[in-house]
Amino acid sequence: MTITRKVNCWEGLSCEHGPDGPEPCPAALDVTSRGVNGGLNAGRICWTVPGTICGGEPHGDFVDKQDVCLNCPFFQQVRDEEGTAFRFVKLAQGLRDAESLHARITQVESLMGIHDQLRARFNLDAVIAEITRQARLLTQAQRSLVLVLRGKPPRLHGEFMLRGNTLQVDIPVDETSAVGYAALHNRVVNVKDAYRATAANDDAPFNRTFDDACECRTDSLLAVPVCDSDNRVLGVITAANSAKGSFSQDDQWFMERYAVEVALALEKARLLQDAVAAGRMASISESLASLSHFLKDVAHALMGSSYIIRRGIERGRMEDIKSAWEILDRHVKRLAQLCKDVLTYDPERPDEICPGDLNETVAEAVSLLQEEARTRALKLGTDLGPGLAQWRHSKRGIYQCVVNLVVNAFDACLPGGGHVTVTTERCGEEAAIRVADDGRGMDEETREQVLEVFRTGDKTRGSGIGLPTVVDVMERCGGRLEIESEPGKGSTFSILLPESP
Amino acid sequence: MGEPRKKVLVVDDDPDDVKMISMILEPEGYDVITAENGEEALEKVESEGPDLILLDVMMPELDGFAACAKLKASPESKGIPVVLLTGVAKQITKTRYPIDGVLRAEAEEYLEKPVDPEELLKVVAGYLK
Repeated sequence: MTITRKVNCWEGLSCEHGPDGPEPCPAALDVTSRGVNGGLNAGRICWTVPGTICGGEPHGDFVDKQDVCLNCPFFQQVRDEEGTAFRFVKLAQGLRDAESLHARITQVESLMGIHDQLRARFNLDAVIAEITRQARLLTQAQRSLVLVLRGKPPRLHGEFMLRGNTLQVDIPVDETSAVGYAALHNRVVNVKDAYRATAANDDAPFNRTFDDACECRTDSLLAVPVCDSDNRVLGVITAANSAKGSFSQDDQWFMERYAVEVALALEKARLLQDAVAAGRMASISESLASLSHFLKDVAHALMGSSYIIRRGIERGRMEDIKSAWEILDRHVKRLAQLCKDVLTYDPERPDEICPGDLNETVAEAVSLLQEEARTRALKLGTDLGPGLAQWRHSKRGIYQCVVNLVVNAFDACLPGGGHVTVTTERCGEEAAIRVADDGRGMDEETREQVLEVFRTGDKTRGSGIGLPTVVDVMERCGGRLEIESEPGKGSTFSILLPESP
Repeated sequence: MGEPRKKVLVVDDDPDDVKMISMILEPEGYDVITAENGEEALEKVESEGPDLILLDVMMPELDGFAACAKLKASPESKGIPVVLLTGVAKQITKTRYPIDGVLRAEAEEYLEKPVDPEELLKVVAGYLK
């Protein structure tokens, strides 16, 4: 039995440009290809590495050297040795092959699924009803109610069913009642025997008003404050009339856990109502959809061209291989440049602000959104001005700003069609990127609200694809935002970038 | 030999895409004719009489679905099987375009991108052989 190690190109072709030599070939140094086809670095996939030194001369990239590579005996040797496992394509760093790309598509789609679920109509009443139902069962209580702080000054508000009627209760936050006391002092109140002498209870008062109004009797009452993550009281959850006579420490423990669930539900309801969050969720949705579509386009091209190359090699159809490889190459480059930035967004990575073609960045961002425009029957156009070929900017930052503003513009367009135009213009020492729509427009108050987000840099909503991101990007590059809008006529959002931040 | 090659009309505005599909189909013995948009597709149907139409859903002048509807409405083309190549994500399809019974009935088949070339060939053969 002989065990042979797989041969790398510098060994197979006996060239001096191996990794240990004085002038290693790029294939010998490309660590991202390590292991492909069983080789050391790109030793067995050298045709994909640009600038390889074969026959003494440095070559270009695959498109330039394909004639040489495809006829090379080493290429054919590797192909024969690897058989069905033969890998002849290598993608950009981070996306090794079509499988990784598919995995990425799956990730984006599952993210979309999660996102859609989160965005789905959230029924607070149903959630609260379930929580109180469980609380009743677990603490063996006759009734359970959630009261929420509302109004100025805040009062505890709750609704419940009694003998077929819906009743509302409104309780002040003071020491005149057990629940008021619980809310005021952020303390659990456990009233063990309401109508006996108060010495048997906590020092919290029991207020008979509720009982009198409802013609019922409360013997025991457990009131647990509901707090947000900053320990601010949002409301109170109560359980009344324990079958055991009074509520125990265990009951209290459970009710405290339920209080957390109620807090979470209230927070979520608030977030979903919050206009900024709702807007941001829409943007995320659209951006993910565009991204998914873009990835699929690339995957489609990759699958097609890989297949053609493979069949071309089998049948010796050189022309097919060359054409397919060119298509592949174009998509790989597109993918590497555009997609990687967005997919591998790393908040830790310092944002590179460097001179570059601003129009190219804007055009790329817009192209990603064309599909979305078509699906909404909107027209998306660009008008890119001169003088911006070497403008200092963060590619990723501007990309994200444009995507966000365009999606907002889409949302502003009225049903039945609309136009969104992205223009760039050099205005003296500033570069303007304007996103104009002919949608519903904003009145002065709304315009001010949006600008307020920018002025205060309110980022408590968290980061992500949305207006807060635009705030971030503008801050980092010293840019500013202008908004022109007229209700019924449309809006123009302009971001202005200084020449040197 | 002697049997005329089957003709496939590929309707897609991306030249790379069109080229790729041609390179997949032609070696298998199909003649490929192309059109860049729905309007041109209708013209080509009239002049070339294809046996199958591969239609990319997202295109400029006439959206793929609308193009398909037009093809199915015209007496010359409605008998020609149409396979739609769609890049639309599943979630979007379900929740945003409620692709109702009418549209679904228009095309014979949907293939979601990325399309496996072997799968494409199987589907084409299914309609043409």
